[in-house]
Amino acid sequence: MRTSIFASGAVAIAAALAFAGPAQAAEGDAQLSVLHGVPGLTVDVWVNGERTLDDFTPGTLAGPLALPAGNYALAITAADAADATAAVIGPVDVTLAANGNYTAVANLDAAGKPTANLFTNDVSQIEPGKGKLTVRHTAAAPAVDVLAAGSAVISNLANPNEQTLTLDPGTIPAAVAAAGTTQPVIGPADVAVTEGAHTIVYAWGSLTDQNLQLAVQTIEGLHSAPGAVPGGRSGAADEGAAGQAIAVAGIGIAGIALLLGAAAASRSVALRRVG
Amino acid sequence: MRSTTTSQQSGISADVAGVAATPVAGKARTARAAVVLAAAALLSGCGTPATPGPETAPPAPTSGAAVPAASPAPSGAPAALPDVPLRLATPAPAAPRDPAPRFLTVEGTTISMTIVDVSVSPDGAMEIPEAFDQAGWYRHGPAPGAAAGAAVVAGHVDTASDLAPLSQLKDLAAGTRVTVERHGAPALNYRVRSVELMAKDKFNGGSLFRRDGPHQLKLVTCGGRWLDGKQDYSDNVIVTAELE
Repeated sequence: MRTSIFASGAVAIAAALAFAGPAQAAEGDAQLSVLHGVPGLTVDVWVNGERTLDDFTPGTLAGPLALPAGNYALAITAADAADATAAVIGPVDVTLAANGNYTAVANLDAAGKPTANLFTNDVSQIEPGKGKLTVRHTAAAPAVDVLAAGSAVISNLANPNEQTLTLDPGTIPAAVAAAGTTQPVIGPADVAVTEGAHTIVYAWGSLTDQNLQLAVQTIEGLHSAPGAVPGGRSGAADEGAAGQAIAVAGIGIAGIALLLGAAAASRSVALRRVG
Repeated sequence: MRSTTTSQQSGISADVAGVAATPVAGKARTARAAVVLAAAALLSGCGTPATPGPETAPPAPTSGAAVPAASPAPSGAPAALPDVPLRLATPAPAAPRDPAPRFLTVEGTTISMTIVDVSVSPDGAMEIPEAFDQAGWYRHGPAPGAAAGAAVVAGHVDTASDLAPLSQLKDLAAGTRVTVERHGAPALNYRVRSVELMAKDKFNGGSLFRRDGPHQLKLVTCGGRWLDGKQDYSDNVIVTAELE
């Protein structure tokens, strides 16, 4: 089964935030992770004017940070800036819904300009036996295809979009190629898809600068249980029929039952529960 | 379809006998024998108190919870330089898994069977091995010997015409030893803690397949009444065992 979600990753997409998942954080806090996807730039990240991440380096994932639902201003400055006024990215206003799960990404847009995107992470339960894989295009590169073992599983994904697959768990040799081609510009790299977990892969960097690469975020604990344990085939172990046999014969051995006294009574209780 | 009529019926009596002693083929038996043996079965099995264990009040389910890959983040509003977990987001190999179980033995029974890894059927149910003398381990959940959660091993209670070894599960006494051999790891000895019936129409998968809380082994098969209309049993038999 495959589900596709194309959601604009643009910052402040309030509509998308309405999809905030079911309760998962204590106290209803939103969970915010931050990914640094701008090559060659060490930065500080500011939330509402407070320095939150210091000397944040490319390829690093921070969080999740539990934040009360509400509006936040995110800004990214050069490392060790005195305050958030001279932002290199932002400030951008984001709305975090109660219990929502988000990843803010500092990245390059398709043309190579530093920007930021707020993605809403799907933390809904995953059907048993499956894992989810989302690919987000956050690189300075044209639209891409994602190839697994040589064939496209995601097609024509453009910055800053994402697409989600529901897959059998396993390790996928994933490669990224320009849309419509099969020559990898990233990978192949092994990406683990874990049952009950949402694996989110970011393509980041710059095609021009030849530093495209993958970053991976994993959200675990989204598993669900099988809906049943079937174990019957023919009815040969039918307790009901056995119970009838016992009941009919039980009349004949009423005397024995009386001799057994109180124990017999408790057995009949057990029998009713089983039957 | 069950009901090959008389032989089936006698098979059931014999089945009860088989629980108390050794499994027997579907030979005709006298009513008296059935009664005596059934009474023995009640004494040894159905009389086993289905003690509500801690598993009936499982910890709050974490299903749906977003568990961070890294350590938990501090909660609260951002202060200056909060202690936010950081990690390099480079692709990592799948986490190593606990050794898989390979063989199940239950003391005092004829349960001596291979365990194979199973997943989920297209209808969302746990897969059960076709062979009546094999049990399936739900490989997406905890393994026997895991640090936390319930390892679920299940198999058929019957064959096309007779009882399967796991039909003896419902009669296990508390304290019965259950041994699970594993691939590349020492065998584990468990002791039966309780035997319970869970109605299939009130199936609580979150409890049975829980992935956190104290480690237990759950041996599961079918039981209760055969419902012709559903071609299924009314209940699951669930044996809960804990490591010695």
